[in-house]
Amino acid sequence: MAAAPFDHARCSGCSLCRLVCPMWRQHRDPRFSPEGLARARQCDATAAELTAPLEACSLCGACDPVCPEGIDLSGMVMELRRDLSPALPYRQALDALQAKFALAAAAAEAPAAGALFLPGPALRAHPSLLARVKTLLGYACATDDGADIALALETGGEISPARRRRFLDGLDGRTLAVGDGLLLRQLRQWLPGARLQSLGAALASLMPIRRRIASTDFYVIEPRAYHADYERLVAYYDRLRAETGCALNLDLQRIAMPALTQALPHLAGPLVDADVAQARWMLQGRTPQRIVVESLADRAAFERVCDIPVLHLAELAQD
Amino acid sequence: MNIPPVEPGTVGPCPVAPDALQGIKRQQTNPARWNGAGWQAFVADLRTAGVELAESRAACGAYATDAGGTAYGQPHGVAIARSAGEVAALLRTAQAHRVPVTVRGGGLTTEGESVAYGGVLLDMTGMSRVLAIDATALTVRVEAGIYWHSLAEELRREKLDYLSAPLNLTSSVGGTLGVGGIDVNSARLGCSADQALSLQVVTPTGEIVECSDTENVELFQRVILGYGQFGVITEATLRVRPYTPLSMHYYYYSSLRTAIEDLQMLDRNDASDYSGILTIMDCAVNLLVAFDSDEREAAFRRDWEARLRGHGEFGFALCMLGHYALRPWKAGEALYLLKRKQAVFPEFRRPEYMRDNKMHDRSVVFSRAVWKHWGSRNMVIPDLATPADKFVAAVERGNAVCRKFFAHYTLYCVGIKLRPEHRPHYEMSCVPPDAEGWAYGCEFEPMIEGEVYSRDHFQAFKNAIYDIGVDLGASYYRFGGMMKGYIRRTFGDELVDKHLAMKRRADPAMILNRDVIF
Repeated sequence: MAAAPFDHARCSGCSLCRLVCPMWRQHRDPRFSPEGLARARQCDATAAELTAPLEACSLCGACDPVCPEGIDLSGMVMELRRDLSPALPYRQALDALQAKFALAAAAAEAPAAGALFLPGPALRAHPSLLARVKTLLGYACATDDGADIALALETGGEISPARRRRFLDGLDGRTLAVGDGLLLRQLRQWLPGARLQSLGAALASLMPIRRRIASTDFYVIEPRAYHADYERLVAYYDRLRAETGCALNLDLQRIAMPALTQALPHLAGPLVDADVAQARWMLQGRTPQRIVVESLADRAAFERVCDIPVLHLAELAQD
Repeated sequence: MNIPPVEPGTVGPCPVAPDALQGIKRQQTNPARWNGAGWQAFVADLRTAGVELAESRAACGAYATDAGGTAYGQPHGVAIARSAGEVAALLRTAQAHRVPVTVRGGGLTTEGESVAYGGVLLDMTGMSRVLAIDATALTVRVEAGIYWHSLAEELRREKLDYLSAPLNLTSSVGGTLGVGGIDVNSARLGCSADQALSLQVVTPTGEIVECSDTENVELFQRVILGYGQFGVITEATLRVRPYTPLSMHYYYYSSLRTAIEDLQMLDRNDASDYSGILTIMDCAVNLLVAFDSDEREAAFRRDWEARLRGHGEFGFALCMLGHYALRPWKAGEALYLLKRKQAVFPEFRRPEYMRDNKMHDRSVVFSRAVWKHWGSRNMVIPDLATPADKFVAAVERGNAVCRKFFAHYTLYCVGIKLRPEHRPHYEMSCVPPDAEGWAYGCEFEPMIEGEVYSRDHFQAFKNAIYDIGVDLGASYYRFGGMMKGYIRRTFGDELVDKHLAMKRRADPAMILNRDVIF
């Protein structure tokens, strides 16, 4: 579904977003839901008054496809976070991290021609897995993958127009596989002519990987990229399920449950129990032999809550 | 405009005086806001009792209206229910300070029943966990603020499903048990309220009581279908069943009467597992029939399908083509039908919900379609509930009213199997007193389609529908809140006064869900 312009006034309080919201599931308090935020904004609540839910939202985007009014609820949270951001006590630490990523991007070479792969910092931290993904996809790897921009989108940080221009220069019209789901979501708006793929869907489409997904696997879709392209990907993953017989992290509404729900203040910190409660809930009543994840962050969450093997999708392909 | 002169110092005749409507006692239906007397002392006592209360503009504003979107009011403070103990402390304190408490689950009322006009709004969705699933006994114990959809998510992991629930994902269990709950399988399994085996209830004076058909029977009878007057349901034990996907069939009619007759024929003969009517227009009526098993479907095809007078989709399209070819001046109507079909039908056949020609997760499919194609900021859905023999007349007369008030509308009709042993539950409820075997319900839902209608227009429409009910001796699903003026007209003084006396005994300060019924 194409996200409609952010418009909290259109929220009619149907509560459908609550059903898929991990923040709501954790707090059981309407203030901790997209609906609660939209209704509070209808009453002129400021970002500062909504600090707790704005920090708690993991921006998984599950709320966007279920909103019958088509409100861009993730966009609403991101916009409110931008208002809130300067006042956050840990803003300095986030800025320092963003500056570190920006510095690396400044030293980047111009992207190679053809299809590009934007891995993101999590995959870059695992060079052998990164090399495997590059080989499998056959795409050139962008040295500037917009990691600082992705962090700014998530935390409400500033993105200078010059930096944005430099990052986007030459990307439109190309095929891009994007590792960061939030960046992918934004690129869909910034690069209307690009052929954008989530890393998960790009890898799962490769036969060496697809044929190794087993019916006893629990396959964990990266939720941000999935919800950003819901109408197409809901059909894509339904085919994957039908072909492989694997179980998916989709709820009854075919919304991808996020495994990890780190609140903003703990973004760069170690995982705590509350962060992985969703991963635990996803496994309740299920007995998979293996968990296959599209996102490395999800691997960390599952490794914390279970003893069964957790593999990144790229690790399914034989050497 | 001719405005009659009024002499200074005099007041002209009042059009809403107690004797203005002959034969009808005047009753205030739009609640006045509670004046807030003693609020600060109440808040202090509540905080001493350990109950958190939010009073900010943002917290209270979130509850300004309900799904109906025509009643507006704000509480002085909001409490999120966390435990039966907290709810009990809240009600005890509210009783002592005479502070009104309005209970809200999914907020899907349409007449302002879950809107607080001052006082405390108690949001039950804070208590929304599944406590225990017994797959052998086929029961589940839940906190009552849970949404039916959240319950379905948990039951599915055990390959189970609830019996029947409203086709709306965000209805809460507690709220539904308090009013009824109809599903397309209600003609076979009864209303949702009849699924409850036992309840934990906090009484208006703050006692926590377990009740069922064998324990604290009178409380159970009053709380089920009791519109929240006799206690707050905090936990419920419900019957559940093995999950099955559905085989769905659609038959199309150009006559409401014929479709209803066929629906009732199927229900009487237990010919299907699911049945209901959904109209696009009164000349394009859809009878849906569905099955939990291949055996039941095969039996239907063998014994009953040939008796249905409806057409398949292709056959009906041909009929319509012929109909409109002879009536070119109705081209606009034909275009609307076509557009509606193109928009709505695919929603019921989304491939991700269909496997091997069976529909999975019907409540998701229906609820998403309902919100997408029928939802809006104003959900005005008056209804009529009648015995089987009065149903055709009720629907036809209601249809005529819809035609008068709106360009387009939808009728949704289902049967509700009644449990004879639960007759005491049904007293002064949506179940008509003279219904035997089945009651039938019809919702009359105008399509707002971006139009702006005045509140008066909506109210006049609802009154016209409800007047049919009075005339036929029917009941209503939504008779509370702004429609409570009909309660005495429908049920009579004797029954209403009996319930009022019970209410006064149970709730001396009349604090719980004030203005919903009494």
